[in-house]
Amino acid sequence: MSTDNLPKKMDRRRLIKNGMQLTLGLSLVSIAGWSAFKSTSDRLVWQLDPFKCVQCGRCAKECVMTPSAVKCVHAFNLCGYCDLCGGYLKPDPNARTTAAENQLCPTAAIKRKYIEDPYFEYEIDEALCIGCAKCVAGCTSFGNGSLHLQVRHDRCKNCNECAIARVCPAEAFQRVPISSPYLIKGGFTKGKNG
Amino acid sequence: MNRKLINGLLIFFALAIMAIIVWDFVGNKAGKNVPNPYEYNIDEFRKVDSLKVIYKEILNFPVVADVLSGIAISDSLIIVAAGNEIIKFDISGKEVFRKAIQDSSICLTVDANRDIWIATRHYIAQYNSNGSLLNRWNSFGDRSVITSLAVSGDRVFVADAGNRIVYHCDKTGKIVQKIGEKNGQNGVPGYVIPSPFMDLAVDDEGFLWVVNTGRHSFENYNADGSLRTSWGIAGMKIEGFSGCCNPAEMAIMDDNSFVTSEKGLPRIKLYGQHGELKGIIAPPESFNQDSYYAPDVAVDANYQVFALDYARKQVRIFKLK
Repeated sequence: MSTDNLPKKMDRRRLIKNGMQLTLGLSLVSIAGWSAFKSTSDRLVWQLDPFKCVQCGRCAKECVMTPSAVKCVHAFNLCGYCDLCGGYLKPDPNARTTAAENQLCPTAAIKRKYIEDPYFEYEIDEALCIGCAKCVAGCTSFGNGSLHLQVRHDRCKNCNECAIARVCPAEAFQRVPISSPYLIKGGFTKGKNG
Repeated sequence: MNRKLINGLLIFFALAIMAIIVWDFVGNKAGKNVPNPYEYNIDEFRKVDSLKVIYKEILNFPVVADVLSGIAISDSLIIVAAGNEIIKFDISGKEVFRKAIQDSSICLTVDANRDIWIATRHYIAQYNSNGSLLNRWNSFGDRSVITSLAVSGDRVFVADAGNRIVYHCDKTGKIVQKIGEKNGQNGVPGYVIPSPFMDLAVDDEGFLWVVNTGRHSFENYNADGSLRTSWGIAGMKIEGFSGCCNPAEMAIMDDNSFVTSEKGLPRIKLYGQHGELKGIIAPPESFNQDSYYAPDVAVDANYQVFALDYARKQVRIFKLK
């Protein structure tokens, strides 16, 4: 019986060779595709969600930067411009003045400016702010929550494993695209140093 | 020194260093209770003299709803507005009525005819006691943020925190006059409303009282909209109203004393008609420590106080001791 009409059997050596070529080709295509995707997609940076933040104070202590790259920012369009500001004044202050004894901020990083009776404007001096969130707690409890924390990307080293994110009890830290690096309340307003 | 001793010391130090690293890693992990050196601490204001607490909680019961908006009392029935629902309970806390409505409520009141008036963010809707729609007013505009309403006879008063004004309307929604616009000539200081909390009520004699929360004061108006009197005191201590804008909620009893409810440091207090503190109804310690919502309050003819606790999703009833 002739064997000419039977399909040819692929020998083992040829099978392995073809398989390796196919694997190599697919790998190259995958790497090229992945590289193209990475070069066109956004880089990611760390940011904290102010609506999850519980003002635990760890942003001030755990950041590898000194002072912390986390700063208080102020959403002016949410602010009530209160005279008795829970974020600026200590609970039950002696007077509603700018005297240090009345201020809540441990570094006097909030500036109070009279606008008109009975309104005052508050601005953060980011060079002084240590990101302790004491003012955020006061504003959130008694005001509109216009003071809130954000990672400031002119200071953040964007560590591979963020030291604050590792210990954040509220899991408020997340990676966001660098094209929209802030998770803001009511529209972000940059500090005067930022 | 022999080699065994050196090796032993090295192993000991290595293990000690590993233990420190592991302890630091585990001890400092998220969720662990680490003291906060920057804690915003108002614990001293949570404690009150127990002799000043003149009410006791006699009953509480849950309200099953996604959103709670406000509470009112009518004919020994407790009426709760819960988003798009009206729920009624009897005095024992048993649910006796529940009906879905089209309007998303912010607050409510009940008039002498037992009609239920619902305020949404921009407009008012009137329902009968069975939850059937009777009338729906035109919107007060996109800027309006209605926070309270009261009905007295043919007069309907609507507090608009967005426009910082009180509208005196008739029952069809026609504006009769605007009350509270800043006017030095008739002594009206103007409303300071830093956040959307601006409550109002009508007292036993038919006079309107409005809470000017940014000034921590109660303002009383004559029928023509001129300022009649006012009182108030700001402060974290028990005599005052704390934070930027309090009291967030209030109700007036038949003897013209005021029940006030504060946010930030939740507490319910009773003031005399001239603003003197008569006592505490619910001290801060009776609310969840992490809650900063002001319970809505209502009163009945027996001087009982009904609080809608948003954090616990409960109606809580307080009675004079």
